[in-house]
Amino acid sequence: MIIAEHLQKTYSVKVGKGLKTEKQQIRAVKDISLQIEKGNIVGLLGINGAGKTTTIKMLTTLLAPTAGIYTMDSIDAIKYPKEVKKRINMIAGGERMIYWRLTAFENLWYFGQLYNIPNNILKKRIEELFDLVGLKGKENVPVETFSKGMKQRLQIARGLVNDPEYLFLDEPTIGLDAVVSKELRQHVKYLAKQQNKGILLTSHYMGEIEELCDYIYLLNDGILIEKGTVKELANKTFHRKNYLLNIYNTTNDILDTLVTILKSIDPSVIIRQENDGVHINSKDSMSLELSRICTVKGWYIKELYEQEPCLEDTILQISKEV
Amino acid sequence: MRAFIKTLLAEIKKQHKNYFHSKIIYISLFLWPLLSFITTYYSFQTFDLMKSNVIYITQGNVIIYLLIGYMVMSFFRSLVQSAWNFSFERVSGTLELIYLSPTNRAAVLLGNAVASLFESIIVMLVFSVFMLILKKEEINANVIPCVVLFLIIMVMASLWGMFLNSIFLFSRDSGFLFTILEEPMEIFSGVKVPTELFPVWAKVLSVIFPLTYAIEGTRRVLLLGSSLYDIRNLIFISLIIISILISSIMIIINKVEKHTRMTGNLTLF
Repeated sequence: MIIAEHLQKTYSVKVGKGLKTEKQQIRAVKDISLQIEKGNIVGLLGINGAGKTTTIKMLTTLLAPTAGIYTMDSIDAIKYPKEVKKRINMIAGGERMIYWRLTAFENLWYFGQLYNIPNNILKKRIEELFDLVGLKGKENVPVETFSKGMKQRLQIARGLVNDPEYLFLDEPTIGLDAVVSKELRQHVKYLAKQQNKGILLTSHYMGEIEELCDYIYLLNDGILIEKGTVKELANKTFHRKNYLLNIYNTTNDILDTLVTILKSIDPSVIIRQENDGVHINSKDSMSLELSRICTVKGWYIKELYEQEPCLEDTILQISKEV
Repeated sequence: MRAFIKTLLAEIKKQHKNYFHSKIIYISLFLWPLLSFITTYYSFQTFDLMKSNVIYITQGNVIIYLLIGYMVMSFFRSLVQSAWNFSFERVSGTLELIYLSPTNRAAVLLGNAVASLFESIIVMLVFSVFMLILKKEEINANVIPCVVLFLIIMVMASLWGMFLNSIFLFSRDSGFLFTILEEPMEIFSGVKVPTELFPVWAKVLSVIFPLTYAIEGTRRVLLLGSSLYDIRNLIFISLIIISILISSIMIIINKVEKHTRMTGNLTLF
């Protein structure tokens, strides 16, 4: 398990002032604690400049934290980065990080050699990876002739070449079309759930985080501001309930009656009629009352359900509050 | 050691595929020193070399004298360019992946230098050997000093390449070294004019380039028939240079990793 406690990172940058340069301290990460268990997908969210990339760089040992504790399976990752490097890999979005003039096979072979993988195992693993990412038959094709999606698939294979226990995915679907993105999400899910890898994912696509992540950490200005599952985050953020009620043959009389009854239960209730039905925003749970009212009044319910806020709404709300 | 060799071989292969993908490159790598060599040769024809104070230059062997200079220079010059090329790994993001892996950094740098060395000199070397055979009456050499010197030059050139690679790793702003080391190395190492004819200030500058000792030793061995004993001072200096280079490389590799982990400049380009 990865345990990071109170990680901080301060960069020292030189700023030109006329002929002189001055050193300035920039605190990219102020205080971040997180955990990643094997078999889980953990999301790292934040607005631009929140410290996501710096956090990933620290967790992958490419950056040394200025302060904090970081252990991976009880190994002190700050003191023994080489031990950590054997267990991890990183996949980033975009078309960099592969050798374009080499073939797909040569790329994987090269990176496999850097991890001192025995040749027979590496050969077998590369075959399996080509199968996994759907690049079978393209092994000996130079990468420069690949489409963006194919390059990204190769990136995934490259990130798995050392069979890492923990995988860091930094915007892995950026710029990819819907089909390839979906495939990638399936791969990620498979890696976590079937191959028991611990995965940290950053993405600007909320749907992706919502679909994949078991747990989410939300960063703002280098600080961890919220954490939890999608549902926990929504519950913490949105204290009111949203319902959609759709009744057959809704008339103004029905709506007026509904408003009167609901206002008597919760004076703060907000009710509005829209094309898809009646939207009800209440302080407390109303599902029982709504079905009871419809039964008593003899209204036929077409649909009635609680509308859970999507992750995007939650993040937007949290962003407004901070 | 097994891991070191695996990385070394993988890096050599990758370098070959990545940078020497086209046969045209071999021609360009050969053509430039060849043109320079021809120009210098005809420039020398305007002087009366019989009056030269340098013991191993005569009117008859000037072509071999210059050829040795250019041949040995190609060992070292190509490495400055390859180190500069190595900095592109930073731009493509692959350098970050190399540092993400637990591999031996020295093996990567050595593999890169060795690949560049062989790829860059092979045509020039073949041409030079052909010319030496053609002008064999001007050659006065013993086999053992030739072999020993060749091995020393190979080791020194590879380490020089590693050293330059390690400096290019240190900072994205190391490109100035390309300007500093390319032409001055050719001028001050005695490729064209022997260093013993230099004024004192230029002699001081020539001391810092390993190429100076490599050229001087090769000329003495091939043109004067010097034995290992005769060139013992040059061998001794070369061994000192090799030790200094190895120590510097190890220190720089260590510092680079610490520095990049502090600054995160591995991804800045």
